[in-house]
Amino acid sequence: MSGETSSSSSLANKDERKICANGSCVQTDDIEAKLDSGNIDEAEADLREGLSLNSEEARALLGRLEYQRGNVEAAFRVFEGIDVQAAIQRLQSISTEKISKKPRSNTESGLSGPQQGANLVLEAIYLKTKSLQKLDRINDAAEECKKVLDAVEKIFPHGIPDAFVDTRLQETISRVFELLPQLWDEAGQYDEAVSSYRRALLTQWNLDSNSCARIQNNFAAFLLYSGFEAGPPTTSTHVEGTYVPKNNFEEAILLLMICMRNFSLGKAKWDPTVVEHLTFALSICSQTPILAKQLEEVIPGVIHRVDLWKTLAFCCSEIGQRKTALDLLKKGLHKHEKPDDIISLLLAAKICSEDGLLAAEGIEYAQRALNNCKKRNKHLNGVCLRVLGLCYGKQASVSSSDYERSHLQSEALKSLDEAISLEPENSDLVFELAIQYAMHRNLNNALRLAKQYIDVTGGSMLRGWRLLALILSAQQRFSEAEVVTDAALDETVRWDQGPLLRLKAKLRIAQSRHMDAIETYRHLLALVQAQKKSYGPLHSTHQIEDERVNEYEIWQGLANLYSSLARWKDAEICLGKAREIVECSSETLHTEGTIYQRRGEIEEAMATYVNSLLVESNYVPSKISFGAIMSNRGLPMLPVARTMLSDALRLEPTNRMAWLHLGFVHKLDGRLSDAIDSFQAASMLEESDPIESFNSIL
Amino acid sequence: MSTQQVSWTDSFSQAQNAIQSLTTILPAVPKPVIASENPALSLLNDPELAEQISNHIRQPDSGAGDNQLCRWLYDTFHTSKIDLQLVVLRFLPMIAGVYLSRIPLRKPLAGFEAVLLAIYAHETASRDGQAVTINISDASHPSVYHENNHPHKTASPELHLVVVSPTLEPQGTIRSTKRARIIGVALELYHSKIADMPVQSKLDFCEFCIIWAGQDDDVNDDEKEDDQKEKEGKTKKEKKEGRILLPWEMLQPMLRILSHCLVGINKNNKKNKELHEAACHACRSLYARALHDINPKAILAIGSLLKLIKYQQTDVDHTELPVTNVIHL
Repeated sequence: MSGETSSSSSLANKDERKICANGSCVQTDDIEAKLDSGNIDEAEADLREGLSLNSEEARALLGRLEYQRGNVEAAFRVFEGIDVQAAIQRLQSISTEKISKKPRSNTESGLSGPQQGANLVLEAIYLKTKSLQKLDRINDAAEECKKVLDAVEKIFPHGIPDAFVDTRLQETISRVFELLPQLWDEAGQYDEAVSSYRRALLTQWNLDSNSCARIQNNFAAFLLYSGFEAGPPTTSTHVEGTYVPKNNFEEAILLLMICMRNFSLGKAKWDPTVVEHLTFALSICSQTPILAKQLEEVIPGVIHRVDLWKTLAFCCSEIGQRKTALDLLKKGLHKHEKPDDIISLLLAAKICSEDGLLAAEGIEYAQRALNNCKKRNKHLNGVCLRVLGLCYGKQASVSSSDYERSHLQSEALKSLDEAISLEPENSDLVFELAIQYAMHRNLNNALRLAKQYIDVTGGSMLRGWRLLALILSAQQRFSEAEVVTDAALDETVRWDQGPLLRLKAKLRIAQSRHMDAIETYRHLLALVQAQKKSYGPLHSTHQIEDERVNEYEIWQGLANLYSSLARWKDAEICLGKAREIVECSSETLHTEGTIYQRRGEIEEAMATYVNSLLVESNYVPSKISFGAIMSNRGLPMLPVARTMLSDALRLEPTNRMAWLHLGFVHKLDGRLSDAIDSFQAASMLEESDPIESFNSIL
Repeated sequence: MSTQQVSWTDSFSQAQNAIQSLTTILPAVPKPVIASENPALSLLNDPELAEQISNHIRQPDSGAGDNQLCRWLYDTFHTSKIDLQLVVLRFLPMIAGVYLSRIPLRKPLAGFEAVLLAIYAHETASRDGQAVTINISDASHPSVYHENNHPHKTASPELHLVVVSPTLEPQGTIRSTKRARIIGVALELYHSKIADMPVQSKLDFCEFCIIWAGQDDDVNDDEKEDDQKEKEGKTKKEKKEGRILLPWEMLQPMLRILSHCLVGINKNNKKNKELHEAACHACRSLYARALHDINPKAILAIGSLLKLIKYQQTDVDHTELPVTNVIHL
């Protein structure tokens, strides 16, 4: 292939082609004609006479001529006439001579007479190898190439002397080292490929740093993708404290990092494939922080800054550094950079959709992405609508006004509905829409979608089971919810059962089966304590990582349960256990307050609720309890109660207890119609309150 | 020497037995396989046999617990002969692909599950349940491949321990929440034997990647005319049926296999060229899917593969000598 192109281009420049040696030059027209008619010997004779060369040198030059003209077969025939052994012996003799190093010019190599000839022959054997490769005789090519290398190794047992640096001989040797492993790889002889890669890299060959970087990069790619397990490298001289990689992955990453280092030190020319191999390898083993560090050290200019920011943003968002990721994306989305980059816009919107305070900003990004889709990237239309819907939903959850909230919620539903009409097969969307309906208390739609989600995912996602159980619990169908939870437990291995057991305990409490609930909590406790013992850093499963139930939660739940059963002593013990884990928590203080209150120790209860609010000023249950006590303290205290309860409702608009107590306050204050509204809200919510917040699954 | 002989004949006769029992399941086991001197290798590589088995796996009721072929695959894997296990692994892409596409259909799948669990159990046992980990060394410490000018402060390099594949627990059945992990682990084993796998098996794998992604490589679609797109719209909808969730525990081994099909093969071979094209297609589909999922890690990994494909096309051969008009000695 490449032969054809070079021969056609050579036709145009035919007049200019010549061969120069020993101070004189000959035009190649006649020689080429003789070669074309198959008279190799005559052509050789012409060259020998014209340039006063010996037979081997003349053949080498002829072969090169043929090779350059793309006649690889002819070139191979010419090269076959060279006595390789003799040439190698000659090389051996020059290695012992003292070599005077001359600066290299364009026209002459740095070698003196005999060395020059030897190099020419070495180059000829190299071209013979290349010819064999092009003739698809890969095994022969590899064998031939190996011969050259064996010879070089025999001649220079301690590596190539510095005097040879920058000579053509060195260049040829570098090429041989680069070619041989590629040939073995091509021939499918992977163990030979590995040993020749290591041969090149583990001995001092004075390879120029660019070829060395290329060999390192090629070897890394081989290790990453060939599927051949190379085994660890062995060196005869192991230096203490030197890192020896143990498997393909480690070796590949090491080599790529060395390349990156040499690039940033300016020792080798930047090669963009290195960073892509490294990106692949490090993202496959989820090490984006290491990747980010490598990218930060890249010298400016080689990677476009916007691309760099974007990649860094991906790295950061992957490890949950949302803020940094968003800042990086913002830089790239600046109006003077690439404001329309759809992937950046989508990721920015997605990050914002996870944080109530950023949701408004996210809506803006999602809308920009959506506008962008009208022109190009139509296939991403559904994704844009999806993140838009998620941002609206998040914004709704933090909105303080009823009107705004319901507006945002319907916007969220609208966007997600539109998205799902574009991508009906996207199960994530089904889930997100189900959640959105559930939050909107449209429980029938939510239920339908939750069932659909379990069907299409084949029940593989824990969150689907949990959502279905929560929706049923919101519909006050506790026993059905428990059946679903049990089905989910069957589909889950023991280690991952925590959240389901917690749910089950709560469902049992809701059905007033307190003893059963205590039993479930005991199971859960045993599980969590077993996990604490055996979970090492190496254990992680995809779905569970963030939602593993912690021991504190269990003690807290048990404390609440015992307190409701008026088993004060047990409740105190559980609270004590909880306090051992989290010393100062608003939740624990609230439970303590409830115990005081139930025992009629109102002053202590008040003090504890206040403490709880000092720990966390927005802790809603304490606000409600405090407000409720205040409302019983006669008219002067009603404004305080009202403020407390309104505040709670601002934070949690669907809190049933807050509405209920606010209703009492209104009633005591004589605002009967307000009281009716509040009671109505409370009773409506009672019928649609899930056993755990829907947010807990997100 | 003599024990080796015994184990070799043992392996030979087991492969022969496997072929024998296959003749009762398939319409016509190809003659070269029956007469082969290396029966295990023929089982692995014979294209006609592979097609027959694949057709069988694709049949509507193939995954049931009493399915003969599933039984055969299960038994063959349990011979514990590596070369026969390779034969079963060769069909893993097909089994996993058909299995996963049938989950929402609520069909009986115990046969497929038995095979998948056998592979999972094998890997769990051979890893002793341990996680696969690697150490990443900072290049600022000297290694076998490089020295460091700065004298190193610590005696041994600081290594960063990384989990490539987490610990494994034995599984008696496929619980739905563990399905992806079990298939992922089977794919990890497949990846470790990828150099032995016939090209057709890898082609099957690429085909299922596209189905699982459920995403055409729409990236090129924008250039097409709208009406042409509408015409294609219908076929597209049908194709998306096999879209499944792609959690990282499955996507990670998938991408490693795919990277081999893209960068790790010798493209000069004609059949490999076909594989390379299929893998490019699969890669673009999975990239489109990663964008749809806004999954940063997948976007990074697949994006880098796509860039590598692009660089491959403009690759300069550095082992080539520069062409000059004046040839010097």
